[in-house]
Amino acid sequence: MTHQLSSELLKLRTTRTVAALLLAAAGLTLLGTLIEGLSRTAGELAQEDAQRTMFSAGISAVFFATLAGLIVVTSEFRYGTIRPTLLAEPRRRIVLAAKLLVAALAGVLFAIVCVGIAFGGGLAILAARDIHAAVSAAHITPLVFGTIASSALGAMLGVAVGTLIRNQAGAIVAIAAYAFLVDAALFAAAPSVGRFLPGKAGDALAARPDELLLGPGAGAAMLIAWTLAFVAAAVVRSDRSDV
Amino acid sequence: MPVSAVELTKRFGDVTAVSELSFDVEAGTITGFLGPNGAGKTTTLRLLLGLAAPTHGRALVFGQPYAELEWPARRVGAVLEAADLHPGRTGRDHLRVLARAVRVPPSRVDEVLALVDLAAAADRRAAAYSLGMRQRLALAAALLGDPELLILDEPANGLDPEGVRWLRDFLRAFATQGRTVFVSSHHLAEVAQTVERVVIIKHGRLVADVPLSELVAESSSLEDAFLDLTAGSRP
Repeated sequence: MTHQLSSELLKLRTTRTVAALLLAAAGLTLLGTLIEGLSRTAGELAQEDAQRTMFSAGISAVFFATLAGLIVVTSEFRYGTIRPTLLAEPRRRIVLAAKLLVAALAGVLFAIVCVGIAFGGGLAILAARDIHAAVSAAHITPLVFGTIASSALGAMLGVAVGTLIRNQAGAIVAIAAYAFLVDAALFAAAPSVGRFLPGKAGDALAARPDELLLGPGAGAAMLIAWTLAFVAAAVVRSDRSDV
Repeated sequence: MPVSAVELTKRFGDVTAVSELSFDVEAGTITGFLGPNGAGKTTTLRLLLGLAAPTHGRALVFGQPYAELEWPARRVGAVLEAADLHPGRTGRDHLRVLARAVRVPPSRVDEVLALVDLAAAADRRAAAYSLGMRQRLALAAALLGDPELLILDEPANGLDPEGVRWLRDFLRAFATQGRTVFVSSHHLAEVAQTVERVVIIKHGRLVADVPLSELVAESSSLEDAFLDLTAGSRP
């Protein structure tokens, strides 16, 4: 298992894909922080809620971590490297487990970078505009650790979905359409149901300030349940499929 | 026995790609695996390597399914498609990734790069490789574990005449060490110079499993024998 893990880690580091996704996540986080921090009046931004929204811009990490997880698997099918991979380690569950772990690590890295940018940028904006920071450790701790957990689980969900769909373009379109259309539309139409979906459960876990979401604990439980369900389906698909 | 197919059958929906195919490949030989396009050669190799599961029958390497070998890369090296590379990864990194998975030291990467004469291009991205270079890189990957058996699917594709001769010499030297090569090919002239035995299939069924000398003695050439045996395979 450690050999496969080390091989999968090296795979991530020897192409530019994951670095590009990390850059995109970081850029979007910076943009979100700047918009939230500069588009409000000083009076508005002095409010605790506005500051929490600004500091939670690091949540961009979750979507890009999910894409990274997806690409960890689908690029193997796109370029056929799944064959050498499975010749080197024919025990498919070991390969899948290594990919899940490596994607989760990437998710943690994405979240740390993005949360760091949101906090660094947010605090700099507050200082530059001479606004007192109104958020407390009680707000910050769940936001930081929730974003990290949500991003790690999102990346694992990406690996599972990638294993199920295999086709890279198809899987990316499916995830993007789900995240930006289905999840959002269902939540808007019926929040009491939509909040249990993976996207909104992830938002809840990352302590995004929204009254209609589940609490962070319930969000974590839901996202873990979704991830386990997709991973179980991925194990079955990976065990049975020809490559 | 390095390779055994026992009543091997593979169906994809209504299509039967391989049908009750049985043959053995003996240790220390170079055996050619021949057949027209679509005869089921690549499917058979995928079954032998555990990449696909048989519908019926058994595909064994060293008496076991590939996935059950203790340390498969030490026993079997395989090249299925030379294009199985990430275009953004360098040749060296492709091998480093696989070296970790097959549990061989990083120094082995340099050894196999030298062996296939690819050291000078090792730090270029695979996207810039010619088909011949991809073939050699794929062969280098197959050799990482210093295997006893090589299973190769059309390894001469894309090689220039010098590369073809190099491959022939390499495979002969490999077999001289008591190791085994099972190689599919379309290049009958090349096969005639390299292999000792041929397994020929048509429509997924065995049509010949004989020493090359026997086959050629009956016809004027391997090409004539092959075309006779596989006649009528085109619709």
